[in-house]
Amino acid sequence: MGNSDLDRFVGSQHVLTLRVSSELFELIKRINFCRQIEKIRNCELITEGEVRRLCAKAYEILIEESNVQRVDAPVTICGDIHGQFYDLMELFRVGDDCPKTNYLFLGDFVDRGYYSVETFFLLLALKVRYPDRITLIRGNHESRQITQVYGFYDECVRKYGTADVWNLCCDIFDLISLAAIIDDRIFCVHGGLSPTIQVLDQIKNLDRMQEVPHDGPMCDLLWSDPYDSSDMDGWSLSPRGAGFLFGGDAVASFLHMNDLELIARAHQLVMEGYKLMFGETLVTVWSAPNYCYRCGNVAAILELDDQLNQTYKIFDAATEENRVPVKTILPDYFL
Amino acid sequence: MNTEMENEDSLYPIAVLLDELRAEDVNYRLNAIRRLSTIALALGVERTRDELVPFLEESIDDEDEVLLALADELGNFVEYAGGKEYAHLILGPLENLAAVEETLVRDKQQIETYYIPLVKRLSEGEWFTNRTSACGLYATAYKNATVATQIELRTAFKRFCSDDTPMVRRAAAKNLAAMAKEISKEHIISDIIPTFIKLSQDEQDSVRVLTVEDLISIAETLSLDEIKTYLLTPLRSMVSDKSWRVRYMIAENFVRITKAVGEEIIRDELVLAFVRLMKDNEAEVKTAASSQVPGFAQYIDKQTILIHIMPCVKELVTDTSQHVRASLATQISGLAPILGKEATTEHLLPLFLQLLKDESPDVRLNIISKLEQSLLPAIVELAEDKQWRVRLAIIDYIPLLASQLGVSFFDEKLGSLCMSWLRDHVYSIREAATMNLKKLTEVFGVDWAKNTIIPKVLSMGSHPNYLYRMTTIFAITTMAPAVTPEVIRDYILPTVNNLVTDPIPNIRFNVAKSYEVLIPVLKQSQETGILLDTQVKPALDKLKEDMDADVKYFAERAFLAESERSLLDTYGKR
Repeated sequence: MGNSDLDRFVGSQHVLTLRVSSELFELIKRINFCRQIEKIRNCELITEGEVRRLCAKAYEILIEESNVQRVDAPVTICGDIHGQFYDLMELFRVGDDCPKTNYLFLGDFVDRGYYSVETFFLLLALKVRYPDRITLIRGNHESRQITQVYGFYDECVRKYGTADVWNLCCDIFDLISLAAIIDDRIFCVHGGLSPTIQVLDQIKNLDRMQEVPHDGPMCDLLWSDPYDSSDMDGWSLSPRGAGFLFGGDAVASFLHMNDLELIARAHQLVMEGYKLMFGETLVTVWSAPNYCYRCGNVAAILELDDQLNQTYKIFDAATEENRVPVKTILPDYFL
Repeated sequence: MNTEMENEDSLYPIAVLLDELRAEDVNYRLNAIRRLSTIALALGVERTRDELVPFLEESIDDEDEVLLALADELGNFVEYAGGKEYAHLILGPLENLAAVEETLVRDKQQIETYYIPLVKRLSEGEWFTNRTSACGLYATAYKNATVATQIELRTAFKRFCSDDTPMVRRAAAKNLAAMAKEISKEHIISDIIPTFIKLSQDEQDSVRVLTVEDLISIAETLSLDEIKTYLLTPLRSMVSDKSWRVRYMIAENFVRITKAVGEEIIRDELVLAFVRLMKDNEAEVKTAASSQVPGFAQYIDKQTILIHIMPCVKELVTDTSQHVRASLATQISGLAPILGKEATTEHLLPLFLQLLKDESPDVRLNIISKLEQSLLPAIVELAEDKQWRVRLAIIDYIPLLASQLGVSFFDEKLGSLCMSWLRDHVYSIREAATMNLKKLTEVFGVDWAKNTIIPKVLSMGSHPNYLYRMTTIFAITTMAPAVTPEVIRDYILPTVNNLVTDPIPNIRFNVAKSYEVLIPVLKQSQETGILLDTQVKPALDKLKEDMDADVKYFAERAFLAESERSLLDTYGKR
């Protein structure tokens, strides 16, 4: 083979590569994200560089989402995870992996558990790879202030040596949707209702890209709790110091105004994993089994099929053999 | 000719006697008995001993009068049997008579007059055979004797225990248990226990072996404190006896011993004794101990079983002797109800599995023979357990069980269970259930799969609930490599094609993934290879244009995998 032949051969290969490159590039990117998902699934820490790339891609996707994200059934609704990574793995064993099953997570991915970093990055990586198969909405713990108190900030610093990763994550928190609506029938939110919100459009008009405020409608959606009592109706102050307590009539009127049948929310520990209230018009779903590794509760996920039929699936904490020992990476300043 | 005639002649009296003894009329039978001495005389001593006496021993009449007559005759029978030396031979029939309920026969007076003197005569016989036989008569004699005679009998029996001849000591040991049942507690402690202790330390292991039975009989009559005081030491030395035959006897009777001694001793002594026997050096001892495992386990608490017994059982499952393993295989399923669900799954099922795989057919046969009565109900119950991990553990055993049970048994007992797991609400169970179907196909063959499971799986493909349709896709994709291209063409591919237009995107992208798996299988034969162009490619083209990004992606990937293979095929052929 002469020199010119060789040049031509190499050249043609090059052209071929160029022609398919845009398709291939997409594929390779996707495969890389898949590899990353696999890595996080094994509870391996991804590098800070990988975190930056992941967050950049997540930014592109999340910023396009609405404050009230539309979701199609079938979908499986999950409550608080709180950094209990191995229990999240157990959740996927019961509900099937994403993307085979569509998921909606109601916030509070981080804080309290030992693996907030891994938990959040797994969910985020899944969101980046399969944006149509998984929906994340914001919980009251997806906030700068709260994560500094309840563990996520410390975990980031411990595992990465600096607060940079925490900062990146907090910027992502600000982009996460506030609520979701499934097939125009089921309203999903982390905390609950707000006295200043009557119709969904009011949520859609909020500016969500900010730290969770101390009061106002955005705060209420992430902080409020339902309260079932004969001597209380409507609204009252929440003992949490943020958000409100809302009664059955508030739920009924909100559902009526927006032509909905159910509110699905998380935010409160339920020993049985889930709890229906107000004549089955509101459900609390809790997905952190043995919360804080000591509460002894079971967890639940709510599976909605394509006809919106509800199936609650209960599960226990992951067994010992399904955990790997905690790898502690010492921050640089100890070296 | 002549000898034959003679033989016939000499047999004649016996033949007549037999006839008459079987006659309907009591009088005939009575007559026959009364003529016994004449017949015995005619037969001669040797044939009387060898033929007539055994016959009398076997045929016990139910007419009291006849029995009484027989007792009378037998009293004088010693001389016809060849004198004192052979007197023990007629003890058999005599003993039978002594056991008869009717007072007319077993009259005290008669016992004292005929039976006791006979026993005494035998006891003092010079030949050990006499004394040996006498031992067997003591329990009956004692029960029916007067108090004075009883003292005599106890003293005489004690003498047998230190007899010079091991045969006699053996007979004494053998009959001590029966004696213990007739003697009052006071005399057991004063007379029987010292005798027993002496025998249990006999230099001959053939004597010591027999004292295990005595130990049980004596223990049954004693209180807990008395057992502790008198029996613990002999029991301990039996468990660690230097003769394996003694240890074997202990192991063989372990449950009976357990029953006789009470809770406290079981806890303090028997658990460790049993562990010791299960770890014995001799296969025979371990075999016997294995047979007692579930029986013994009933008397101890679950924690003790798990800590002390199960580790030994685990070792015995892999014992080098197949007899040990076979014995265990027969018994081990009995532990399931005692251990309960969780411990059965965790500790027992792995052992079942091990035994099912045993190289010895006897072992496998034994475990399978127990399957239906104990293991199978356990499996069916566990298969529906609330904890999904328990259900998962059971599914893992199914292919192995299936290969051991055979196809018809499987279809009847486990088939529907395997299908029900496909509808489980936990994904991991559904996943394991599809893997299970693949493994079953490998065990029972493609034809079986085609006729039994595939139709059921495919019918779920048109279920209104999308999860069922999803399961169909998973199941047939998983099974595809295990079936033939023809089955894919005729059964699987049409179902997959149908789901290309499913309303749920998750189904559609799994259809694309499924094509990716089916393509290499279809390529295996020319006949099915053409389906790639006529069916698979058009379907993938359609999916590539789907609204959903993930459906597009997986369709693209399947398509690329297909073209990559074609390229490889083309260049490979060059």
